[in-house]
Amino acid sequence: MPGHVHVVDDDASFRTAIERRLKLAGYQVATYPSAQQLLDSLPDDSEPGCILLDVHIPGLSGPELQGRLNELGLTLPIVFLTGHADTPTTVRTIKAGAEDFLTKPVESEQLLGAIERALARHATVRDERSRLGEVRALAAELTPRERQVFGLVVRGKLNKQIAHDLGTTERTIKAHRHQVMEKMKTRSLAELVTLAERLGMLD
Amino acid sequence: MVRICGWIIGLLALLAPICVSAQPARPYSILVLDQSDLRGPFHYQLWSGLRGVLDARAGARVTIYGENLDLPRFGGAAYTESLKRHLKEKYRDRPIDVIVAIGRGMLEHTLSWRAELWPDTPVVFAMLDERDLAKLERQTEVTGVVLENSLAGAIKAARAVVPDLDTVALVGDAWERQALFSHWSEEIPVATSGLNVIDIIGQKMSDIRKRVAELPERSAIIYTGVFSDGEGTFYPAATAFGLIAETANRPIVVGAEPLLAMGGIGGYVLLATEIGTEAAKIALRILNGERAGDIPPVSGGVKPLFSWPQMQRWNVSESSLPEGSEIRFRDQTFLERYRWQSMAVVAALLLQAGLITFLLHERHLRRDAEVESRNRMSELAHVNRNATAGELSSSIAHELNQPLGSILTNAETAELILKSENPDLKEVREILADIKRDDQRAGEVIRRLRAFLKRTPFETREIDLNEIMNEAFKFLSVQASGRNVALYLQTAPGELRINGDPIQLQQVILNLVVNSMDAMSAIPYGRTVIGRTELNGGSAVEISISDSGPGIPSDKLSQVFDPFFTTKDQGMGIGLSIARSIILAHKGNIWAENQTGGGATFHFTLPLAA
Repeated sequence: MPGHVHVVDDDASFRTAIERRLKLAGYQVATYPSAQQLLDSLPDDSEPGCILLDVHIPGLSGPELQGRLNELGLTLPIVFLTGHADTPTTVRTIKAGAEDFLTKPVESEQLLGAIERALARHATVRDERSRLGEVRALAAELTPRERQVFGLVVRGKLNKQIAHDLGTTERTIKAHRHQVMEKMKTRSLAELVTLAERLGMLD
Repeated sequence: MVRICGWIIGLLALLAPICVSAQPARPYSILVLDQSDLRGPFHYQLWSGLRGVLDARAGARVTIYGENLDLPRFGGAAYTESLKRHLKEKYRDRPIDVIVAIGRGMLEHTLSWRAELWPDTPVVFAMLDERDLAKLERQTEVTGVVLENSLAGAIKAARAVVPDLDTVALVGDAWERQALFSHWSEEIPVATSGLNVIDIIGQKMSDIRKRVAELPERSAIIYTGVFSDGEGTFYPAATAFGLIAETANRPIVVGAEPLLAMGGIGGYVLLATEIGTEAAKIALRILNGERAGDIPPVSGGVKPLFSWPQMQRWNVSESSLPEGSEIRFRDQTFLERYRWQSMAVVAALLLQAGLITFLLHERHLRRDAEVESRNRMSELAHVNRNATAGELSSSIAHELNQPLGSILTNAETAELILKSENPDLKEVREILADIKRDDQRAGEVIRRLRAFLKRTPFETREIDLNEIMNEAFKFLSVQASGRNVALYLQTAPGELRINGDPIQLQQVILNLVVNSMDAMSAIPYGRTVIGRTELNGGSAVEISISDSGPGIPSDKLSQVFDPFFTTKDQGMGIGLSIARSIILAHKGNIWAENQTGGGATFHFTLPLAA
């Protein structure tokens, strides 16, 4: 799977070596000597990609960068690399959601496997996110009344109960319900419930 | 009333004897008759000897009359008769208590005049030869000072001066005119047996001067006294002697003390002062009530005296002189003259030398102790470095794995490139160059680690402290991020050249930073260590390591550098004490303080390289 790999390492020699190897494997590669420089250039999240990050870099450390990316809502998965895997660092990075954790010197097979997995995961996350975006767009078309009805329908309320709750007639509710099904492009209540869950309406 | 009168009478009775003894005694008179009229040093000394005693012992109560009758130059019955008349008239109303007669001739005249001029007055003689004593047996109230004055003595002195003596030259006025030495003429046959005698007695001055200049080797001159040139000119004794001594080609044995100073080598000489003193003592005893007849004549006034300059001239050694000899005019050697000063100087020098030796010894011991202590410190530092290296193993692994990682990746890449149909050899070459460089880097890490762990003696060279600081902080960065510690370094611009042992200084920095990181292990977040280098004045550089930990309890501030002082569960307490030992060995200072905003700061200073 082709994709973008962002390499963050303070060691110029290592950056060059990795860049060569990854390009040979067919990836697009961007290198950064520090975490801050990665943040400054804010990589494109829309294409498949991942970050290859050295744990011990001066300034902003690996785990800190991870935190900042999460804050920014970037979904780029991070593969950590370290010269020495001490337990506290490993635990901290895994807890923060590291995709993988590799120890230098790393064999290409292992490295490429990890990157492949990260890219696949990013693709999944991205797909999921794009689908969610579509649903959100549909939901945005709903009128406030329709949204109210949507919320009550997916919680399993009967039309009569909804009419009672909203102080209107069963017929009106039926019409709203039809409108919601139309606008959300669903044909069954089960589908509608799935969309509601994805939108986080059932939390 | 009766009682008061009694007291007064008693007092008077007590005072009476005091009044009697306080009555002034009758003043005494002494008449000194001297046969000579020469104001030479000999007679001056004799007089001063006399006066010295009389003035000191008798004080103002004694009147001294003096007459110089010049008998050697004037004689004859008419002259002596006129002298008698003169003295008779002169002292008609002056009672004389003691007469001091100086010289044999004077004594003879005095005794012949006494019955008429001063009947029963005691006479004290001076300068009378032993053998003339017998002639006085019939005289009463006569005593005095006898001289032991012989030609044999003069010959003995001559032999001392010229050990292989075979000739003596006798120089003087005609024997019968000699006041003191006339009896020597009788001694000649006995005293000079075995010696050649050159007779220069009673000659004219010009002849004397000529003959004493032509004396043979192994001879000595025996001088009695010359007072005239034989042609009608009379000299003072010293002048005549001076003329003779001027031309003499051999040492001159003399009989009078003053001639020593004029060029005589010495001999048994008459001591005028002593003769005068002794005569005066006898006169005083008579004035104090003793009878002259009861006082036996004393002998004295002759002593072996020699002149140092003349001894030097004639090469006479001190050991050949007669026993009891005294040497005059000896040039005191420097040590004799400045005996105490010299001794003080020598003592001071010795003391100083001793002190210097002692101090050198101390310095040596101190140096040994310093070397010893430095060696111990180096060994302990080595142990400490081993422990630190263990603690910092993650950093070491990181340092090493960084280049190894590059090498592996590069090698695999190159392999792939070479497998392809159209290998890009240019890139392969680049890759190989990178591999080589990274390999060297890994080698360098190993080399540095070995150097750090090696047991090395303390050795200083000029280094840049900023560089040392940078290296140490870079090395620590892995450790710091692993322990979630933010590590910052602010170095002074430019280089900070100091003389130091780079490994030991790096060790100090590692110890301080690791110590700071340890101190912060209990705080959950915000762990920060800041290192700083800055110039401290123009001659020193100051390094500080600050942390954001809990700080040091103020009562422990002074103890943190003590060996085996630790607050950690697993610390040995040697890290900071070694840091201090190293800094002290670099002639620097190290101290710890708490920051006002919290956390501790460790400082150390090092002198800049000149």
